[in-house]
Amino acid sequence: MLLICGTIPQDNFSIITGKAEFQGDRLLVENTEISCTQGTAALISAACLTAQFLNSSPPQVVLAGDTGKGTGSNLLYNYLINNLPGLNPDVLLMHYILPIMGQMKKVVATAAKCGKKPVLMADASSMYAAKGAGLAPEFDVFTPDICELAFLADPDAIHPAYIQYHLFSADDSQAPDLIEAAYKQKGAAKILIAKGATDYVAEKGKIVAEINEPDIPAMEAIGGTGDTISGLTGAMIDAGFNPRNAAVNALRTNRKAGACCEATPATKIRLIVEAIPKALKSIL
Amino acid sequence: MLFGKKNKSSFEGGGLVLFQTVEDAIAGEKILQSENYEVKLVAPPPALRKGCDLAVEINIIEKIGIERLLLQRKVVFMEILPLKGAGDLLDIVKVKNFDNYCMVKAGNMKLTFDRKEGVIVNISGGGCPDIPFLHISMLDKKLTEVTPPKENGHTLCALMLDMAFTEALDIWSKEAN
Repeated sequence: MLLICGTIPQDNFSIITGKAEFQGDRLLVENTEISCTQGTAALISAACLTAQFLNSSPPQVVLAGDTGKGTGSNLLYNYLINNLPGLNPDVLLMHYILPIMGQMKKVVATAAKCGKKPVLMADASSMYAAKGAGLAPEFDVFTPDICELAFLADPDAIHPAYIQYHLFSADDSQAPDLIEAAYKQKGAAKILIAKGATDYVAEKGKIVAEINEPDIPAMEAIGGTGDTISGLTGAMIDAGFNPRNAAVNALRTNRKAGACCEATPATKIRLIVEAIPKALKSIL
Repeated sequence: MLFGKKNKSSFEGGGLVLFQTVEDAIAGEKILQSENYEVKLVAPPPALRKGCDLAVEINIIEKIGIERLLLQRKVVFMEILPLKGAGDLLDIVKVKNFDNYCMVKAGNMKLTFDRKEGVIVNISGGGCPDIPFLHISMLDKKLTEVTPPKENGHTLCALMLDMAFTEALDIWSKEAN
């Protein structure tokens, strides 16, 4: 079972949990419609469509409303700390949750108590919390862009806003150096999915794949295109792909989805999401 | 090394609010706690010490919301700093032009606007939970008509987005004139 945990931009803090489905163009969690926008909703939508395509179980989700003050995020951390062993997911994908290092440490410690330790994935602020708390090597998959890669390579930074200038000034061509530095500083998960003009998949310190086609520079501007990569990867791992193959196929699918809808910098993530089934058909 | 003065809480926030006087530090702690921020009074490490010997440890991610609250409540503070790493926020902004669009990058945040209309067409990057909220509230609106992210956001991602927004507004204003 793939368990996705993240916040949605609502002031209603209560936990929403259940099976997620993408029907037509609507994302539903146990009959509650969630707007398919940038963030965890885009990630879940991509995971749902991937699971449907692969005939695997739909993702289970745990969501809470949070507009940045952290109340919903704390509910999520506590939910995982109290329920993770009972849920016993195969894959735990943590996403937009306010980084609270102490809480993240408790979640990872709780994950170790599951019958079988889940594949641990972190994207967005959950990746910041995992790295900031010194837990990066405990995770199986991180999905940084070039700036976040610099953050992982900075031994002291606990948020990308505070990385050292020389690391931030790195351009896409220096991604391999940043990947090497991130592993050296113990800021990397076992697998890094580094997103950029060229996407890289690195495993245990070594780059194992590079993807740069189709080349659609506009994808960088579209909010949510990193979220969809995480959703695709999580659903593929849950369907039985090994993490490295899942990463490579997710990156290819995401680029293909951008090509299918002729993405421009103004394209909304919903259109990319809706192109995922067609892209999966072409890639897998 | 930090020494908790009030209790041995395991809270690790990664940031400090520095104050000129002990009275200000205590007032700051009280106000932040009243708004449900997790904080604790600590002695700042010697390398960061300015003003008095008491500081408030905060979750540095929440810098923007905490700064706004202290200013609103007129609590005098000197500075908000991360405990480790670069003490200064990134202030480098990168600009990338597409045919009809301009993308401004600040740290991990990117804001893209239509060069003809000055409309925000996309916001990408970041990861803190106020970003999807800001995304919804700013998308498809004119740069000149939205509330700056610094006023509605709570996190460092919002602060980076505010930097991108400010630069985008500046570019748009110059191009429009």
